[in-house]
Amino acid sequence: MVFKALKLNPKDNVATAMEPIEKGGEVQVSFGTETQTIYTVEEIPFGFKIAVQEIQKTTPIFKYGEIIGIASKDIHIGEIAHIHNVEGARGRGDIEGGKK
Amino acid sequence: MDNQFLGYLRPNGMAGARNYVLVLPVNRSLNFIASNLARMLNNYKHFEIPADGGRPQKDRLTIARTMVGLINNPNVGGILLLAVKPKFGYKDMSSDYFTDAAEQSGKPWRSVILSECGGSYNMLGEALRVGRELSLEVSKFRRQPCGLNQLSVAVKCGMSDPTSGLIGNPTVGYMFDRVVNAGGSAFFSETTEIIGAEQILSKRGATPEIAQALIDAAYYWEEKAKSTGEDIRAINPIPSNIAAGLTTLEEKSLGAISKSGTTPIQGVLQYGEQPNGKGLYFVDAWMSSLSLPLCFTACGASIVMYQMGGGDMADTYPMMPAINPTIVSPWMYVTGNKHTYKKSPDNIDYDSSAALDGQATLEEVGEGLLNHILAIASGTLTKMETYNYQEQLEVLMEGPFL
Repeated sequence: MVFKALKLNPKDNVATAMEPIEKGGEVQVSFGTETQTIYTVEEIPFGFKIAVQEIQKTTPIFKYGEIIGIASKDIHIGEIAHIHNVEGARGRGDIEGGKK
Repeated sequence: MDNQFLGYLRPNGMAGARNYVLVLPVNRSLNFIASNLARMLNNYKHFEIPADGGRPQKDRLTIARTMVGLINNPNVGGILLLAVKPKFGYKDMSSDYFTDAAEQSGKPWRSVILSECGGSYNMLGEALRVGRELSLEVSKFRRQPCGLNQLSVAVKCGMSDPTSGLIGNPTVGYMFDRVVNAGGSAFFSETTEIIGAEQILSKRGATPEIAQALIDAAYYWEEKAKSTGEDIRAINPIPSNIAAGLTTLEEKSLGAISKSGTTPIQGVLQYGEQPNGKGLYFVDAWMSSLSLPLCFTACGASIVMYQMGGGDMADTYPMMPAINPTIVSPWMYVTGNKHTYKKSPDNIDYDSSAALDGQATLEEVGEGLLNHILAIASGTLTKMETYNYQEQLEVLMEGPFL
């Protein structure tokens, strides 16, 4: 089966899973009428972000066409982008004392 | 129908979805009479003044703005003002301040003054007599074809979940763009929710002053929270956000902001302040369901909506966060979460989740929302409008108490 993920802006390098996606699943990433197919390398829960391009460490994560964070590790296509490999510029709730 | 609705055209050029008579006590001691008039007279709505004494001027001005805003809201066809004496009270809230506002609105209005009636018992009778006359006069207004440029909408989001930033809010944002690009007005707010994305939001300010005002507004509330020991930045995103996939504060705030669409922000308004022009406005105000909808109504929103995620709603016939906290403006619930909608189709007006399932594009659900709003503006009731209930509302006041 083909799973679905949504990009919110053409600049985005991540897409959000619109349903839980199994490891190795085929994902149709859509933005409006544009689509792209990728394969996940791990399970993706509903609402989580999947990298749809190779994202190098220290480069920005784009969602809504804006920078929402910086990659703290290299992120490969089909991987989850979340707190283990993304740092916010304005502080994150899981780091004590937050503000950078 | 082609992006038209059948609305009540008002002297200021905006169109209302409803045609109420508003009874407004100018002095707090008259809340009792106002509330009873609204009960005894058909098609009447009323506002009860919050405690106005013992407050700094800034808070009195907020109350006054809210009242003037209600007078000018397009859903109000006529106004019945109640006052103790002419020219009585604080200068910025005296009777003549509001009679001037009613006169400037160009709408039919009357005033009933206790000192000129021979006391409160006579006042009740006189207000009934005058109120019935006013009612008949307002009933002569007719709906006529109006365009999106005469519509004003507002949104608050809450009970956020992953669908909020993914579909729910962007759907409202799409609709906002449609209304604003056609020449109408739209309002959004919840200053604490833009913290983390205020730099990004400020780039949409139509002028450098507006850009700075957005940043200043976020900073003000953040510092105020800190002074009481709450560090909004450090505690966000909260654990439930992280468990739901939100990674950074910027992402959370951008998800909130997506409800405003993409058009430039024409100004930063205070609570209850009416803008000078049309377009998209940010209102610097508190997010509460019992405060912000009233604010939007005073700013001029004909229709106000609550975009909801899911949250801990009961599975069987849940109650909604608020019932008609807008007094005169139709209040609607919208969601991008199909499970939320299924729990409460009797209370939720629009479900945009088809875009989440891939059964529709964002544009399609956005157009669907717009069409639904046009129907509401033309007379279809919102689900919540079937209730006859007045919530206890809170005008946003900062104090100190004097």
